Amino acid sequence: MITLYDYELSAECYQVRLLLALLGLEHRLVPVDIHPGADHRQPAFLDLNPLAEVPVLVDGAVTLTEVQAMLVWLATTYDGSGRWLPRDPAPMATVAQWLGVAGRLGASTGAARMALAKTEEVALEPLQAEAHRLLRVIDEHLWFAERRGEDWLLPLAHPTIAEIACFPHLALSEEAGISRLAYPAIRRWLDRVRRIAGFTVMSGVFPASPSK
Amino acid sequence: MSMIPSPAWHPIAASTDLVFRHVFHGKLAGQELAVWRADDGNVNVWENRCLHRGVRLSIGMNDGAELKCQYHGWRYANRSASCTYIPAHPANSPARQVTNRTFPVAERHGLVWSALEPDAAFPDLPEGDWFALRAVTIDAPAQTVMGALAEAATSLVPLSPLACRLALREAPGETLIVFTQPLDAGTSVLRALRDGTPADAEPTLRRFNRILSGLRDSIEAVPMPRIGAVEPDFAPVSADLAAVPGPRAAGLSVVVARKWWAAEDVVALELKPLSGTLPAFQPGAHIDVTLPDGTLRQYSLTNGPGEWESWVIGVRRQRQSRGGSRMIAEQVREGDLLAISEPRHKFPLRRDATRTVLIAGGIGITPLLAMAKALHHGGHPFELHAFARSAGHLPFAEGLQAFGDHLHLHLGQDPDETEATVRQFLGPHGFAQHVYVCGSARMIDTVTQAAADLGWPDEAVHYEHFSNDRAIDASSAFTVELARSALTVDVPAGVSLLAAIRDAGVTVPSSCEKGACGTCVVPLLDGVPDHQDVYLNTTEKRAGRAIVTCVSRAQTPRLVLDL
Repeated sequence: MITLYDYELSAECYQVRLLLALLGLEHRLVPVDIHPGADHRQPAFLDLNPLAEVPVLVDGAVTLTEVQAMLVWLATTYDGSGRWLPRDPAPMATVAQWLGVAGRLGASTGAARMALAKTEEVALEPLQAEAHRLLRVIDEHLWFAERRGEDWLLPLAHPTIAEIACFPHLALSEEAGISRLAYPAIRRWLDRVRRIAGFTVMSGVFPASPSK
Repeated sequence: MSMIPSPAWHPIAASTDLVFRHVFHGKLAGQELAVWRADDGNVNVWENRCLHRGVRLSIGMNDGAELKCQYHGWRYANRSASCTYIPAHPANSPARQVTNRTFPVAERHGLVWSALEPDAAFPDLPEGDWFALRAVTIDAPAQTVMGALAEAATSLVPLSPLACRLALREAPGETLIVFTQPLDAGTSVLRALRDGTPADAEPTLRRFNRILSGLRDSIEAVPMPRIGAVEPDFAPVSADLAAVPGPRAAGLSVVVARKWWAAEDVVALELKPLSGTLPAFQPGAHIDVTLPDGTLRQYSLTNGPGEWESWVIGVRRQRQSRGGSRMIAEQVREGDLLAISEPRHKFPLRRDATRTVLIAGGIGITPLLAMAKALHHGGHPFELHAFARSAGHLPFAEGLQAFGDHLHLHLGQDPDETEATVRQFLGPHGFAQHVYVCGSARMIDTVTQAAADLGWPDEAVHYEHFSNDRAIDASSAFTVELARSALTVDVPAGVSLLAAIRDAGVTVPSSCEKGACGTCVVPLLDGVPDHQDVYLNTTEKRAGRAIVTCVSRAQTPRLVLDL
């Protein structure tokens, strides 16, 4: 049984929950009271992840503490179609590139969101400025993809774990004080992701209307 | 070329931004906008806030005919922006005043335009083949952007304070028209049109995207002075919406666009507005039609969501008609003008049922047709049981096949068979199940009796009478006190309660005046009423908290009304 050490409000945990849902995988969620309980600093949790962060994924003998690794693990192990992580070198490397972009989103909009949620004394402006820099590039990328009739981050007929990695940070950006008013192509892509069969929501992420 | 006269109209989006079932998040001069295209192609530009709790409608759901707020599910209709459904009050109809603020809209040259002033004339745009480039958002005031454009251009012709025709130094020989859309005091969007669609669209789009993004970067590289707090601008509510709701006369003029036989003895009329568009309506709504001789008759709208251009009603030609339906069947012709009322909602449809059973007897199918279309569009579970003497007597039969497995036809059944059929498919009542019936008085009695026997509570059984066939007994005499007006009025035998109240100078709206439509219902504070109407259900009658003033009277010497 796959076990996910989970915090409902974490954008990273949501990435894993989303892929688990889309793949229809049975799993066990272990809620970790990050705030205000700070259970992730308890010795029991530090044994799992010395970095004191969620998510942690335990699947048999494998324990993973980085979200990108979890997405790669689930896609390679359980996705028989091979679509969520294509095996050809070029698309595979491009997915890895988007996982890197998702990491940058986590470090900017994600960090600003957590800072606002916990009212931490953090300099928000540099985080938000970096997020806007990334969103501008992503919006431009998706706008030109739409022009070619493409729906997804990769020029493929189906979504990949690049979508799963980037979606939570972009969908929750307004909780980081980052409006998506100037990113219409990202807003349309968010709708498309929310219409993938098996999509699941979290607090602050709403379902899309069905598209026929 | 002609000048673009004023910046009242601005491009606010590209046509390609408004994809199927999407809500675009727009802004113009500080006003946030929810912009969405309905399935009929119409573009709606609305104030970006739900009238309920102020949540942005741009995060709502576009279902093709309505926009649903994400917070509590309030629904607003395409075009009119009127609220059609409030999930927390599923058994009621939203008031007509619950209408969102709309802005004018136009689509030209691949851009969607709007204006904050409702009456501004649309600018004279140049004709020709104009190719929309990718919009670029710039963190700078519009005037700063216009200044930077002037510096980047080889030639520039101002068209308005915020639009110009120019060629850029980096793309000489290619004429552009550039509009600067002020999002707010410190942010702008550059929307440009290139003269002529290029053979190589994508490289051209990329080239200009690079040039305009470069311009953006150079503008943003200069530090902007901080913009201080802006005084809020309170927009007045329109006089029409601010008016206190009161009795409404026949307010709409419509043309009979088409008249045809929808079944044996049933005439269908398609009504188009003489000018403007028809108001929003909800499934189950009816209109009062003023006949050529001045009498009023009620007919249900058969339209579903998104069917906004014209209304279709069905009229049964009755042999023993008082004249109304016969007059429509025999005298009204295509092209005639009719005066009708705003839609009235006495038969609202809940959309939160786990099972909805619609039971139609003959011409009674008309309101249920509108309900079936709404439930079908929304993907709600429902059954439509249509009773008719024969296939030829089934009104609007051609449209019913669209309901597929939801449709159940029961043809040629006598009253006993009808009752057996109803009992069989209705079954015992389950959680959140509702039945709606419309048809003859006998049909309604059959269904309400069967439902009561099977354990269906009154509030799960909905029906609409268009006539009250009971003989009215007006022989009693009593006194009525109007509590708010501090008046005591005698109601003698032979005079209706409604007439006595009106004679005392107190206004009560009314319509059918036969105890069927419910327009003249008044809250009752004291006394035992003698209900003679068919509008209130058994529970409401037993509760004795309301009275239909046109036909009902008193069992006690004195009634007290909240008037």
